Amino acid sequence: MEEIGGTIKIEGWENVQINIGRIGEEEEEWEPMGPYPMPKMADLRNWDYKLLNRYKPFYAPLCDVCALCTYGKCDLSGNKYGACGIRMDAMQGRIVLLACLVGASAHMAHGRHMIHDLEHRWGVDIPFDLGTEINVPAPLTQLITGIKPKKIRDFLPVLDYIEENIVQLADALHTGQEGSYMDFESKALQMGMLDSLGKEVADMVQIAYYDMPHGESNQPFFEVGMGSIDTKKPTVIVIGHNAPPTFDIVEYLTEKGLEDEVEIGGICCTAIDVTRKYQKAKIVSALGRQLRVIRAGFADVIVIDEQCIRADILKQAKVVGSPVICTNDKAMHGLVDRTGDDQDEIIDDLVEGRVPGVVILDPFQVGKVAVEVARKMHPKRAKKEYILSDEAFKEYLESCTMCGSCTFACPQGLRIGGANKKALEGDLEPLIMMFDQCVGCGRCEQVCKKHIPIVDVMVKAARPVIEKEKGKMRAGRGPVRDTEIRQVGAPLVLGTIPGIIAPIGCGNYPNGTKDVYTIVDEFASRGYIVTLTGCMAIDCGFYLDDEGKSVYERYPDDFDKGCVLNIGSCVSNAHIHGAAIKVASIFARRNIRANYDEIADYIINRVGACGVAWGAMSQKAASIATGFNRLGVPAVVGPHGVKYRRAFLGRRDLPERWKVYDTRNGEELYCEPCPEHLLVAAETIEECLPLMAKLCFRVADTSPGRMIKLTHYIDLSMKYLKVMPPDWHLYVRSETDLPLAKKEYYLQLLEEEQDWKIDWKKKKIVSGPVKGVDPSFNPTLLERLLPEKR
Amino acid sequence: MGCDSCGGSCSPQNYLSFDAGNTHGPESGRLAAPETIGRLIKSAKRPLLIVGSEILEDDGMLDRAIAIGKKGIPIAATGPAIRGFVEREYDGEVYYYQLHELTNCILDPEWKGLDGQGNYDVVVFFGIIYYYASAMLSAIKNFGTDPLIRGVSIDKYYHPHARMTFGNYSPKRQAEYLEMLDKLITVL
Ligand code: SF4
Ligand code: SF4
Ligand code: SF4
Repeated sequence: MEEIGGTIKIEGWENVQINIGRIGEEEEEWEPMGPYPMPKMADLRNWDYKLLNRYKPFYAPLCDVCALCTYGKCDLSGNKYGACGIRMDAMQGRIVLLACLVGASAHMAHGRHMIHDLEHRWGVDIPFDLGTEINVPAPLTQLITGIKPKKIRDFLPVLDYIEENIVQLADALHTGQEGSYMDFESKALQMGMLDSLGKEVADMVQIAYYDMPHGESNQPFFEVGMGSIDTKKPTVIVIGHNAPPTFDIVEYLTEKGLEDEVEIGGICCTAIDVTRKYQKAKIVSALGRQLRVIRAGFADVIVIDEQCIRADILKQAKVVGSPVICTNDKAMHGLVDRTGDDQDEIIDDLVEGRVPGVVILDPFQVGKVAVEVARKMHPKRAKKEYILSDEAFKEYLESCTMCGSCTFACPQGLRIGGANKKALEGDLEPLIMMFDQCVGCGRCEQVCKKHIPIVDVMVKAARPVIEKEKGKMRAGRGPVRDTEIRQVGAPLVLGTIPGIIAPIGCGNYPNGTKDVYTIVDEFASRGYIVTLTGCMAIDCGFYLDDEGKSVYERYPDDFDKGCVLNIGSCVSNAHIHGAAIKVASIFARRNIRANYDEIADYIINRVGACGVAWGAMSQKAASIATGFNRLGVPAVVGPHGVKYRRAFLGRRDLPERWKVYDTRNGEELYCEPCPEHLLVAAETIEECLPLMAKLCFRVADTSPGRMIKLTHYIDLSMKYLKVMPPDWHLYVRSETDLPLAKKEYYLQLLEEEQDWKIDWKKKKIVSGPVKGVDPSFNPTLLERLLPEKR
Repeated sequence: MGCDSCGGSCSPQNYLSFDAGNTHGPESGRLAAPETIGRLIKSAKRPLLIVGSEILEDDGMLDRAIAIGKKGIPIAATGPAIRGFVEREYDGEVYYYQLHELTNCILDPEWKGLDGQGNYDVVVFFGIIYYYASAMLSAIKNFGTDPLIRGVSIDKYYHPHARMTFGNYSPKRQAEYLEMLDKLITVL
């Protein structure tokens, strides 16, 4: 019998609440328990091997040596073995698992941290109720653990499960444990799954505690962009992913009636989460612009919580005289812990510059300090100009010797010296372009022998652009509603809504932020459902069309054809997994309870979804992508993504990799290679767009659906690459799959280039396709679902 | 420091990766003269030129890619590079291929190649985003060992993971770089 806590409220006795810590209660039998409740690391290995044999791990080592133990450094080049017996390929799998461990820990610990912080005030018996339109409230939790949560308390055993399994997986990283790259990858996939679960818990916890939107459409707008901050007002800049301290700032502002007097501007996910409730807050930028926002001097105080904060935040803040408040024990930056101290004293110490910053670990002690420091610092700081003067700008440009050291240090290889020279000649355009292409790392400044503050030089050049950079973004809406799934389930599985495109993750873009806008606009205008989270949700918000509208203003935020949804922060992207799971649950009536492999199998064969992490940078992005992959959702990363070292690539030229069972009779059939890859890096945006369209094909597409998907694949390839995709014919199963407008032309190409036989009288394909169209084809990769095994 | 500030006169041992932190391990790419790389390509049984998006940016690079192709070397155009060949109406052997997919195939000794005639023994990287090319050259160096596949770069960057590579050439030395490519083409 499970031990579950409870609360009794007695009518009429509103102030009396009896908390019962441990009463026995059977969980509601909402579905029969599936085969894998709380799977351990070997339980889903069979499913992983299905994926890994089709999408063989491809490794590109960043470095040829291993230095993880004192036997090393070991030279592993040429796939050699190290002193412990590990080979280069397994070592790469080990590094991938390590990255996923770090990422999954960040998401899961974020959820745990919030509960620790908030349970003292509100307890853990807050009901978890998403309203009448959502009956599958926590799809990942239900799928992976078998628990259907009703209150925050119900997530506690879920967190226990994740924590134990993360530790077990971390153990496998030790020298002298796992030696097979395939098993390292299976473990990485398990870690990715735990990551997705940790994200769901974290987001559900904050939705419940802060009553964030429950998936409602038509969310309100708020401002985004570096030009959105009113610099005449005291400004608090918040950075990170853990919103409670910032909610305390909002509470203080509201209590004191200061909402119109003090600006809250955010960088990264804390800002996304706060704007889900408080739309007077603004998002200044995504992570990639962090250094530039700090250097532009917006912040009268900087409040950091956890994740994606610059490790040199104190040094950078000092340059512009911004005090720093650290609110999370994971990022304390050597500052003194002042939690519980007299708040007026802390304020005074910060304003007078006696300390560069403080640590305040109780989120409910942050609001007053942050706001009052900003109010007091503002007049002091307003006297100074943080953006370079015209004279200083010119002097720095003149001092540049075009030595090229900065270019060698720059991860983007930006030719800064050349841009400086152009600027000196009066052409600021190259520097302005670099302002957007720069990923804000600051490496260039360290190596410049002339001590040119290169980031400041770019900010100065781009100032007119920055001042105008202001768009509108919708508040993050959270989960996809069951009622929406009922509407779109059929068109998604049939393929007539060509796919779900999920831009996620960080801002390490190869060529600036505009690419994000291009991805969103291109797919939304073609009728795909575009669901955004995290930095990419921010970066597409400040590009405006000719009428001055952002993508969020142009497209509705329903989960429906041609819509653009801000789902929320990085942890909210669990709702994208959730939407795919709900399609299986609500549309296909599959049991999802503790039934991971069956649902992942359903998704990989039927739900045309593709993630894109165009600027994937963090370990979290690694675990997010790996979690999507295990659930059968492919992802494309930008070119920097090759530095994760591993891809999951299919081989369309090897038909034996694409065998699929037909559940009706157990027959094994050769199918089209779809989705062709699970994780692949595109070189440029022009390649990314058709590639994503291709990764939305599924073997179960109906002919009308395949026709639509093929139309977009060919069209995007012609538009951006100027060629027919070399593999388009592989996705043609019958003449009914061919785009209608040019059907005859395509038939001709198939005859001439692929030697297919065409009956020209009937305009029919006689022979050629890998497999014909069969509307009742019921594909699966799992033997356990075949008739004789069931 | 081994960058173009000293005119490229530094010794190969001190040669700096174009992305300074991109260090590798015991085996460094050999800095080679264009004629040496040209001879390696010429002596290959099955050479392949892989060109990337940067050939569209730089004056003269697409011309050189076409010139190499006209010497009978098949071309895999990755990313949007294929546009350049389409726009020039290049009628030689050129295929669009995605770079991750292509490198993955190259690592399989059984792969049938772009023309169905088998895998390649020398693959030449040209005009590909530096860090993407570096990672793919690393994959080839570490896993393309049996039979040996030689990954070579003729880009204007020093590539530590290549078997042979040029040094770093800044835009102001573009003419010099193009001249090196021309020398290489002469040998083919
Ligand atoms: S973990 Fe293995 S490969 Fe790495 S340094 Fe130690 S012995 Fe060498
Ligand atoms: S390192 Fe400094 S001096 Fe050298 S090119 Fe860059 S900005 Fe100019
Ligand atoms: S701060 Fe920008 S310009 Fe400087 S090295 Fe980093 S990415 Fe390059």
